[in-house]
Amino acid sequence: MRRFIESSITVFSWAAGLLLTLALLTLVGYLLKKGGSTLDVSLIFGDTAPLDALMLRRQVFDGLFPAIIGTLLLITGSMLIAIPVGIAAGIYMAEYCSGRIKSFFSLLFDILAGVPSIVVGLAGLSLTIFLHRYFSTQITTSLLISCLSLALLVLPYLIRTTQTALESIDPLIRRTAPALGASRLQNIVRVLLPNSISEIVGGIILATGRCAEDTAVIMLTGAVASAGLPRSIFNQYEALPFYIYYISSQYTGPEELARGYGAAILLILICAGLLLTALWMQRRLTTLLLYR
Amino acid sequence: MESPIKISTQALCFYYHQQQVLHDISLQLPTNRITAITGPSGSGKSTFLMILNRLWEEIEGCSISGKVTVELDGRLQDINNKALPARVLRRKVGMVFQQPNPLPMSIFKNISFPLRLAHISDKNQTGHAVENALRQVHLWDEVKDRLNDDGRRLSGGQQQRLCLARALVLKPEVLLLDEPTSSLDPEASAAIEELLLALKAQCTLIMVSHYQDQIQRIADLRFEVREGRFISPHTEYKSASDV
Repeated sequence: MRRFIESSITVFSWAAGLLLTLALLTLVGYLLKKGGSTLDVSLIFGDTAPLDALMLRRQVFDGLFPAIIGTLLLITGSMLIAIPVGIAAGIYMAEYCSGRIKSFFSLLFDILAGVPSIVVGLAGLSLTIFLHRYFSTQITTSLLISCLSLALLVLPYLIRTTQTALESIDPLIRRTAPALGASRLQNIVRVLLPNSISEIVGGIILATGRCAEDTAVIMLTGAVASAGLPRSIFNQYEALPFYIYYISSQYTGPEELARGYGAAILLILICAGLLLTALWMQRRLTTLLLYR
Repeated sequence: MESPIKISTQALCFYYHQQQVLHDISLQLPTNRITAITGPSGSGKSTFLMILNRLWEEIEGCSISGKVTVELDGRLQDINNKALPARVLRRKVGMVFQQPNPLPMSIFKNISFPLRLAHISDKNQTGHAVENALRQVHLWDEVKDRLNDDGRRLSGGQQQRLCLARALVLKPEVLLLDEPTSSLDPEASAAIEELLLALKAQCTLIMVSHYQDQIQRIADLRFEVREGRFISPHTEYKSASDV
């Protein structure tokens, strides 16, 4: 009986892994079949010469270049806000907070993690309306508001992964540096954080993916169908997820829909690129902080 | 010849979440000797060591009463005096744990870590100190060509010697050893014992050990702890002149 249970679990695990791989391959294959034919320079740059577009000499009107740049700016801006705050809050939760305050904050972060993205988008929109009404009529939905809203959306992931990574460090390692004369801060900065890099980068990757794919937040806070490249963080912008959403609901012909699939492939490629960069940075940082 | 006193405790009590772990300990430990502390598991031996370098402060729910004085830099200091920062005390009172605990970093970084904590950043000085510490524990020849390798890739005995070198790199006046050979094979244990005997010329060693034969081989004094009380008067295994 025991052997049967063990075999069943093994078969089930293999089947689950296989199913997941098949699902991923099917998704990518489907996207490639539907949008692969659109993948060329004109999908990104339209009629504009790529060099002119890259040097910002000419605007791209019928390509995805503004949406790609908008997406990259959105991810970078959101992560620049979320990473320091998320890691700092995670450190606070793991190393300084205790008792009832810790329980209270834990509950708060769990609630925040469960808030639907459309609600976060609404919060961003409300903030914009508030600022517009009471501070300056110049303030409208923009890249900055989207970045702030997305940062709020992904903060719980970063806080929790940092906190969990720090709390799971072997007590022996945790006590080693203080026994050698390290202050609390030195222990955190020189031992605990470097030893948690893998988990923290894991959280950053997860959060980056969330920022890249979210549509509900950005459609309420600054993303539009056609805006060109944003001149500053106070401008509206284009983004790939919003473009995909817009095309899939408003397409006028099969060619336009195929471009939507092409945009989805580009979004996946951007996410894969960011993932590889994060993994490379993780390896570099680990080597730099611990072995050189 | 009597050895001067390095550490003394007066009416020392220790509590963990209101539960008394150590009871009214008053004793004196001599300089440049190996003092062994023995007793059953959970009797408070390791706790006593953690009092001597205030490592107990890192554990939530602990409190202490009584007095502990240690002769550091030639003068007696009350180690629980808040004017003496714990990190300064711990650089003078080093500790080696029961399990080898190399940090997940290179061999070189492991040894130079206490120097960095003490803000010693001169590369030459650090390099010499690391080499000296590794030579002192007879590890230099084994690792000199792979100082950038992960310290955790060494064998158990090598790891414990690495930890010993790391504790020695700041030239501590007191070295606390919490069952330093319990996770090692007899050969590695013998190497560590030999090292400890050589080390007592330069520092005072306080060692927790379960092994009576080991205590007989290397300890100058032995204290027995039972249920948080130091019940036995110290027993001299070696005359002071042997040191």
